[in-house]
Amino acid sequence: MTALLRRLSSTRFTLLGMALLAVGAALSYDNPVDTPVWALVAPMALLAVNLLAAVMSNARINRRPGLLIFHLSLLGIVILAAIGRLTHMEAHIEMVEGSTFDPAELMNVRKGPWHRGELEKVVFVQGPFTVDYGPGMMRGPTRSHVLVPDGQGGWERRVVGDDTPLVLEGYRFYTTFNKGFAAVLTWIPETGEPVTGTIHMPSYPLFDFRQANRWTPPGGEEVKFWLQLETGLKADQAWTLDPSKAHGILVLRSGEQREELLPGQATALPGGVLRYEGLSSWMGYKLFYDPTLQWLFLTAVIGVLGLAAYFWNKFATHPWPQAGEVSRKGAEPELETAPWGGGKL
Amino acid sequence: MMNEMSEATVFTELPWLYTGLVAYALATLSAFYGLVRTRGGDAGAAVNRSHESLVLALLTGGVILLTASLAERWLRLGHGPFVNLFELLISQLFSLGLIYAVAYWRLPVLRPTAVVVLPMLWVLGTWVLLLEPSDSHYPPTYYNEWLWAHVGFGKFFLAFCLIGSGLAGVILLRRIPRVAPFFRHLPPDKVLDHMAWRFMLLALIFDSLMLIAGAVWAQDAWGRYWAWDALETSSFLNWLFLGAALHARLSYRIPIHVGALAIIGIFVFAFLTYFGTPFYSEAAHKGVI
Ligand code: HEM
Repeated sequence: MTALLRRLSSTRFTLLGMALLAVGAALSYDNPVDTPVWALVAPMALLAVNLLAAVMSNARINRRPGLLIFHLSLLGIVILAAIGRLTHMEAHIEMVEGSTFDPAELMNVRKGPWHRGELEKVVFVQGPFTVDYGPGMMRGPTRSHVLVPDGQGGWERRVVGDDTPLVLEGYRFYTTFNKGFAAVLTWIPETGEPVTGTIHMPSYPLFDFRQANRWTPPGGEEVKFWLQLETGLKADQAWTLDPSKAHGILVLRSGEQREELLPGQATALPGGVLRYEGLSSWMGYKLFYDPTLQWLFLTAVIGVLGLAAYFWNKFATHPWPQAGEVSRKGAEPELETAPWGGGKL
Repeated sequence: MMNEMSEATVFTELPWLYTGLVAYALATLSAFYGLVRTRGGDAGAAVNRSHESLVLALLTGGVILLTASLAERWLRLGHGPFVNLFELLISQLFSLGLIYAVAYWRLPVLRPTAVVVLPMLWVLGTWVLLLEPSDSHYPPTYYNEWLWAHVGFGKFFLAFCLIGSGLAGVILLRRIPRVAPFFRHLPPDKVLDHMAWRFMLLALIFDSLMLIAGAVWAQDAWGRYWAWDALETSSFLNWLFLGAALHARLSYRIPIHVGALAIIGIFVFAFLTYFGTPFYSEAAHKGVI
């Protein structure tokens, strides 16, 4: 058993594992879809076994508390990161002003097999937002207003944006550059109940000139929409995107028919009447959930403190050599370890 | 090419930058002059090292002038030197100069390494002279306190790598018989090697701190703590190579000059990570859309 441990703990494996991990990291660069997760997992597993064996059998590491803490924290980080991948969730969502968060509207959902979050408990209502731009359309701070339950039956206002996410039930919502306008429409079919909904236009101001979309009303024919926006955009000056101050005329085409609608106006189309209720906006959020974040941070910090303590213990008693002194005396200074590591513990 | 706006801009930080670089240039010259002058004495003889106070004074002067240059630009643009390459280079010239000056002052044994360290700084110095001092736009994700921790730890990491490389450079130069006598009043290679790796261990501590602070910032700024973008991949590899080199040295009898080459390799890698990758892949770290 001890012989096996000793063999597994060889620092040759450590260097091999590190070399393989470097290859894995290089292959993972830019997250190519065809790189298997094993490119990282296999070297990390090798390093983990190697490290555990070293901790159990090698006094050079397990009798030095700081160094031991550092290495165990490396192990902890790998384990926590793995748990994080298994329990995480990432997604995107476009929230229209005035709408309440609905998990069914999430897009590009990716989650680990052990994800057990309580997404159904997440409640918030999207309010208005503004985004500042510098000259040359350089994006500045985003301020997105949201309402979250205050726990006493009322609502609490919060302003989130950029690096201040909205955190609810461990789910973190980050505003993104992806945001824009929406047209609120009501479809009044010839028979049946009217329905109100929104048509999202492409991201603004990124696709300033392509504010178009299409939709086929139930029982009707495809309608093409184009939003003629007035937002005060000035490409060469500082400017604030504030959808509450914007105006939009909705141009629609259905077959040969072309209409321009102001908010509140309606038009008859094959199968029913379409009313343009008004202009609204949507904010694109990135959702991120990973229950290990705080633990990862704590483990990493403890690890570095361990390494710092090791450094301190190793060198505190060994002053820096003085220039001239050594060669004049012709003597060699006392080193705490020989350069190849054959020193005392 | 400048646009209309920047043509009217007066880059008031430039006079401070240029005089700061002149001070660094004079420090470099006096370091070389001092080295040449000490040649010829008997091995180990006490040598007159009065030039060292001049080097230190010039270096300190350069740091003060670069501080003024950074402050001037900061006041002019309303944000710190964190965004474009021009700003990053001045900022590193300042911090590397400052940390090296403190080491030069407190650890006299390091002083002869100035003839290696200061020319290395000149790679940055020459580069900054070739760049347009164009104004930068401050991305919204940079208003984050973790930026300070990340940048601050990174500065110490790079400075300790630079000092380690200075020692490694002396070890390598001493292998050239005609050059060796210039460094005769320094301790033997074995001691220099030991000191250099002491700095590299310190560099690993700050590199780790830089990665932690960077991950916290990335979580806030982009909603993920790690994503294998160009800069993250490069800095992880840099950290790993540093760890591997420290390990290899303890596990094998690595010849001292090979160790010295490894130190310089790690510094060059760090250099490319800092000044190459963020500009090779613009998207993530600049965060401007
Ligand atoms: C995962 C497998 C690993 C094992 C089995 C391992 C084992 C060891 C051992 C036994 C020592 C003491 C060596 C001696 O004093 O002779 C040591 C030192 C050290 N290890 Fe590791 N290690 C591992 C991974 C790492 C990693 C990934 C890093 C950082 C990138 C690292 C950084 C260090 C440092 C900085 C020292 C102290 C070096 C010095 O004093 O100069 N180790 N390790």
